[in-house]
Amino acid sequence: MTLLQVKGLGKSYNSETQVLKNVDFEVNAGEFVSIIGPSGAGKSTLLRCINRMVEINEGKVIFDNADVGSLKKKELRKLRTNIGMVFQHYNLVPRLTVIENVLHGRFGYKTTMQGIMGRFTEEEKEHAFMLLKKLGIEDHAYKRCDQLSGGQQQRVGICRALIQEPKLVLCDEPIASLDPNSSKVIMDHLKSITTDMGITCLVNLHQVEVAQDYSDRIIGLRKGEIVFDGPSKLLHEDQINHIYGTELRELITV
Amino acid sequence: MEAGRTNDLPYIKRTKDGRINIKSGNKIDLVVKWTLIILSILTVMAFFFFNYIGLQWDRAIPETAHNLRVMFLEPALNHFSWGEAFYQVGITVGLGVLATVIGAVIALFLALMAAENLSRPWISKSIRAVVAVIRAVPTVLWVLIFAIAAGLGSEAAVLGMLFHSTAYLVKAFSEAFEEVDAGILEALRATGANWWHVVTHGVLPSTFTYILSWVFLRFEINFGVAVAMGAAAGAGGIGFELFMASGFYFDLREVGFITYAILIIAVVLEIISTQLKNRYFPASTNN
Ligand SMILES: Nc1ncnc2c1ncn2[C@@H]1O[C@H](COP(=O)(O)OP(=O)(O)OP(=O)(O)O)[C@@H](O)[C@H]1O
Ligand SMILES: [Mg+2]
Repeated sequence: MTLLQVKGLGKSYNSETQVLKNVDFEVNAGEFVSIIGPSGAGKSTLLRCINRMVEINEGKVIFDNADVGSLKKKELRKLRTNIGMVFQHYNLVPRLTVIENVLHGRFGYKTTMQGIMGRFTEEEKEHAFMLLKKLGIEDHAYKRCDQLSGGQQQRVGICRALIQEPKLVLCDEPIASLDPNSSKVIMDHLKSITTDMGITCLVNLHQVEVAQDYSDRIIGLRKGEIVFDGPSKLLHEDQINHIYGTELRELITV
Repeated sequence: MEAGRTNDLPYIKRTKDGRINIKSGNKIDLVVKWTLIILSILTVMAFFFFNYIGLQWDRAIPETAHNLRVMFLEPALNHFSWGEAFYQVGITVGLGVLATVIGAVIALFLALMAAENLSRPWISKSIRAVVAVIRAVPTVLWVLIFAIAAGLGSEAAVLGMLFHSTAYLVKAFSEAFEEVDAGILEALRATGANWWHVVTHGVLPSTFTYILSWVFLRFEINFGVAVAMGAAAGAGGIGFELFMASGFYFDLREVGFITYAILIIAVVLEIISTQLKNRYFPASTNN
């Protein structure tokens, strides 16, 4: 089943540069897809067009049979509850506790008043603790987020995305600020979201090897255009060179 | 020579005598520098243009010293009792608290609308403009303006202080709000949270200690202004007694006493505010 369709998507922040050009792809429910590409290729922008954190200029994004570009404010909030997001810098509220940050993922389901008063149901709280347990950070539930390590904070970020009960999780460089060990923990958890819970994952990555290890499919983005789209096994040296530009790639591998 | 090699690199800026510049050397630096120099020269020159006729240095200095000694070493109460003094201090503190608390509540809402990351550009710009004008007029003038409608007294004083405090706090609060990490706002919006959710659970928790510090700072200012308003605008309180003691009875000892009373209150308020912050917001002391 197709969960997400991106058709002829174009995006520019200003008149001079076109950040995304005619981007076309589809994602099926239950897929784990990585997006790779050099810095400035437009990976972050592409993810933000999907939940419309930035406005779409051309083309269409169809998520779960809804045309994302034409949604009204209320409908957009509803759409966002179905799409979780995980960030490079975790983006937690540092002065609040872990459990409070996780419950922030439920705001999309709340009225203004319920949200302001922070009224969460017992089921929601239990769900939050269950997710913390699943990610192995239940001991830290009442700690303030700024007392946690990067890897732990990222796991809180993942819990916040999962408590939304989303159909799709967008991850913008989830491991770019982490050491190799924590990176592996995070990638394993993300992978298990897809395999155990059946939630689709779309992950921006800088590490080609990680993308190859974990994803079913890889999309290569270069200067706002898709230059590769296929199963990870078919991504070979020359395609990688094409995505990153030959000279650059050599620099990294030497 | 080593230095010889770097000499002709085009991206290194040098002063006239050939030393490497580490300031960018832009116009603003230059303007700041000259402003400071000119101000210093003007200050020094001012002393030469004062009107010194009729001033006898040999008498003026010892007498001033004597007055100060009477004031601060022999303070005493002559025209009112200790209980009265406490009551008057209470009135002054009350004026300050009233203006600060009401001002802070109003400012909180206006600041949310004035912060660029939480509001629309035109709303934010208009609030800023209005608030800048209000701030530019000193508190005392606002009190006098309100006195036209309310008559001189505590109402005009509180209204005037409230007006200026609100404007001041709107600027302070909105700048604190704008410092909130854009990523936090983005993450909350991405979960489907609406504006009120983002404000109450993202912005306010992140800025609470700043808001509290600004309110305390403003309270200290308002306490000082309330003393002055007691004298200048007939708002009552310890300021009025100070005015009477100095301008009406010429009682130096009483002036000394009142000054000490004000000083003690200021110190007590400072201690309370520090204690409060340490107890409820220990984070503000270590970050
Ligand atoms: N808010 C913005 N306003 C203007 N230009 C922007 C904005 N965000 C991104 N851009 C521009 O869009 C282009 C693509 O940015 P984007 O962040 O999508 O790249 P990226 O592939 O995620 O890069 P990186 O790997 O470094 O994160 C860049 O040239 C950037 O300068
Ligand atoms: Mg990016």
